[in-house]
Amino acid sequence: MTSRRRAPSANGAKIPASKQTLIDNPPKQSSSEEPNITISPSKWSKIIFLSSLLLLPYAYLLLIHLQIDGELKRSILINAAMSFIGFLLTLKLIPVASRYVIRRNLFGYDINKKGTSQGNIKVPESLGIVVGIVFLLVAILFQHFNFTADSIWLVEYNAALASICFMILLGFVDDVLDVPWRVKLVLPSFAALPLLMAYAGHTTIVIPKPLIPYVGLEVLDLGWIYKLYMGLLAVFCTNSINIHAGINGLEVGQTVVVASGILIHNVMQIGASTDNPEYQQAHAFSIYLVQPLFATSLALLSYNWYPSSVFVGDTYTYFAGMTMAVVGILGHYSETLLIFFAPQVVNFLLSLPQLAGIIPCPRHRLPKFDPKTGLLTGTKDGTLVNYSLRIFGSMSEQSLCIVLLFLQAIACGFCFLLRWLLAGWYK
Amino acid sequence: MSVFRRNKSRRTKQGKNKSISVPKQNSTWPKILGVSAVILLPYAYLLMKIDGEFKRSILMNGAFSFVGFCITLSMIPVASRYLIRRNLFGFDLNKKGTPQGNIKVPESLGIVVGIVFLIVVIVFLGVSMLLPHLNFIANSTRLVQYNSALTSIGFMILLGFVDDVLDVPWRVKLVLPLVAALPLLMAYNGHTAIVIPKPLIPYVGLEMLDLGWMYKLYMCLLAVFCTNAINIHAGINGLEVGQTVVIAFAILIHNIMRIGASTDNAEYQQAHLFSIHLVQPLFATSLALLSYNWYPSSVFVGDTYTYFAGMTIAVVGILGHYSEILLLFFAPQVVNFIVSLPQLAGIIPCPRHRLPRFDPNTRLLMGTHDGTLVNCCLRWLGSMSEPSLCIVLLSLQCMTCPSPQAIACSFSFLVWWLLVGWYK
Repeated sequence: MTSRRRAPSANGAKIPASKQTLIDNPPKQSSSEEPNITISPSKWSKIIFLSSLLLLPYAYLLLIHLQIDGELKRSILINAAMSFIGFLLTLKLIPVASRYVIRRNLFGYDINKKGTSQGNIKVPESLGIVVGIVFLLVAILFQHFNFTADSIWLVEYNAALASICFMILLGFVDDVLDVPWRVKLVLPSFAALPLLMAYAGHTTIVIPKPLIPYVGLEVLDLGWIYKLYMGLLAVFCTNSINIHAGINGLEVGQTVVVASGILIHNVMQIGASTDNPEYQQAHAFSIYLVQPLFATSLALLSYNWYPSSVFVGDTYTYFAGMTMAVVGILGHYSETLLIFFAPQVVNFLLSLPQLAGIIPCPRHRLPKFDPKTGLLTGTKDGTLVNYSLRIFGSMSEQSLCIVLLFLQAIACGFCFLLRWLLAGWYK
Repeated sequence: MSVFRRNKSRRTKQGKNKSISVPKQNSTWPKILGVSAVILLPYAYLLMKIDGEFKRSILMNGAFSFVGFCITLSMIPVASRYLIRRNLFGFDLNKKGTPQGNIKVPESLGIVVGIVFLIVVIVFLGVSMLLPHLNFIANSTRLVQYNSALTSIGFMILLGFVDDVLDVPWRVKLVLPLVAALPLLMAYNGHTAIVIPKPLIPYVGLEMLDLGWMYKLYMCLLAVFCTNAINIHAGINGLEVGQTVVIAFAILIHNIMRIGASTDNAEYQQAHLFSIHLVQPLFATSLALLSYNWYPSSVFVGDTYTYFAGMTIAVVGILGHYSEILLLFFAPQVVNFIVSLPQLAGIIPCPRHRLPRFDPNTRLLMGTHDGTLVNCCLRWLGSMSEPSLCIVLLSLQCMTCPSPQAIACSFSFLVWWLLVGWYK
């Protein structure tokens, strides 16, 4: 899992540089304050292009292809409109927040640009706090506009908000105070508790048809083991995004890709289960939380894409991981979610030897940057980032990010393929 | 608002590299524990008279709260090291000129209280759902209320901590509690009607007046008021946490008495039980913080704490349906707010700090002409030392509780005063 000491932190381990600065020299405050702290303008045109690519299948399915009940469709569209407002709000607030964040010395230096002039720019950290707060705002306000709510839904929704809110709090406290990694492992479990209590679903799993003769049952009730699995899923999601990081735009990018996969999955399931309103509600619930996540993350990506003007901090990775775990659990599709998370799972498995201490683990497990060529070269550390570089050869940071995001999209596509192939065979 | 509390902020004296090692946090917890045991006697007595099921639930919550007290007590020194390392500290302006005025005091320890509070409440909810005979949360409406309370309070702690770290402008600070109170409004399913006091019925023409959306607006404003009112009635060691502890205690007594008195109205009892489930952890964790924050303060609480406390109290007042009584408990804060209005509105010039003046030779505080309850008290009662001032203000807080509580409170406070000693 993640730790400041061993794995690269969510922003390419730029925090240590600034933290050293802080510990040795307490900041001089009002006397030598920079008059104008501005960050580069957002690369929103690129982002709009990316998002149209991701959203096109979703929009097509939602509006044209599938026959979705009018009420439900209206709620989804209202949520989409609110998410869009959230996108604009986040876009506007990030430069404002960056000034405050830099003023309080929450910044880092981009290690993947060390040796070039860009390696000396102070990049504000923890902009995930803006995304988190805007997300909570949109999610809280949406409750008021969802006319099809019943009390079970309200319980789950509020539990989801409580869990996500607690996680954002813990993420921000970690960014500011730099808590030890053991604490970081345990706290998400507490944040997931409201979720576990609100989970009103079955704790049974359906045995795949081929295995029924061996197990002897069609459906197996796991009871508390299932709840334990849900808790572990929450811990896993939050930390796995955190360690699959370090390249400009990777953390937000992977979230955006997985989120669009989730949206497509949700809308397809809604279309496919017109006879099961409860099932539809579960997936609609997921959409209501993932649309704002997608929109606000896009706004952050506009600033975080290569070259990064802002860093996202643990606040963002924890928030994103928890939100996705929440929707996966309450939407009853956590197995699908895990397949979407395949690159993260691979990255975790590759990292295990170093995280467990079997192989020595350096402070940063980033690739090596050559300032003359501007290319990244893979080291022997066990991360998907390094492995990709070793397999595909050295490349620039932006290309690497695109390759990794493409891998993520392939994982999502593979999941859909798998579900389609196994539809009759598996369940 | 809190800009007037910046007396203790990190930006007072930075830059000069005083090589001061992290000070050891001294806690006065044996004193605090002893005093609170005495204070809690009337509460315990009333509790014993309650019906079995409720009593078990309250006692279990009490046990969890005590664990929360112990955890907070042990976590505060740990967190202080991290906070100082990240330059979240201030210097105590009320000790300027004495050697104590040069100690770096860690700020924002409210974050420890907030996180432990959330964990205690979450775990308590989880455990009570698991144990069927204590299962009061069966009703899904109740669960919605608990979860929305957690969201509101959690959001407020987040905003408070963001404010402590990033120092957001005061206009934003006014609006934030409004946003954090929204989950509450969604979950509030009670009546929005008020009962007209009997003497006014002939004039109004109705016995009950349904305010509808205006009641919801009132709830929002209550949240904004509670959070900010505690924030501006501050500046003296131990005042913020102390006032919260006194109000929490008054709330507990009120809840217990209402539970005992309305055995025929289960809904009403449930509302007050809900309130107890949130206020006991608040009381316990705040006591732990008070052990460090009492004069002389080893830690400062930060806006994180005042926002968290204010919001929790507003939440229980709203969802427990006793917000009018709550305002009565908040009388000193209301007075302080009214007295502060001219300066806050800008009619009278408002200095950066509205603290009393400290004289390092006599070690006494003197009231200035600023419009705060703290200064007004000093002007009426004469100069006094900081702990005495705090005790006076807290006694004032006690006396505003309605009759039986007032006697209980004041008696307890007298005992506290005697035990703590009269500082000069």
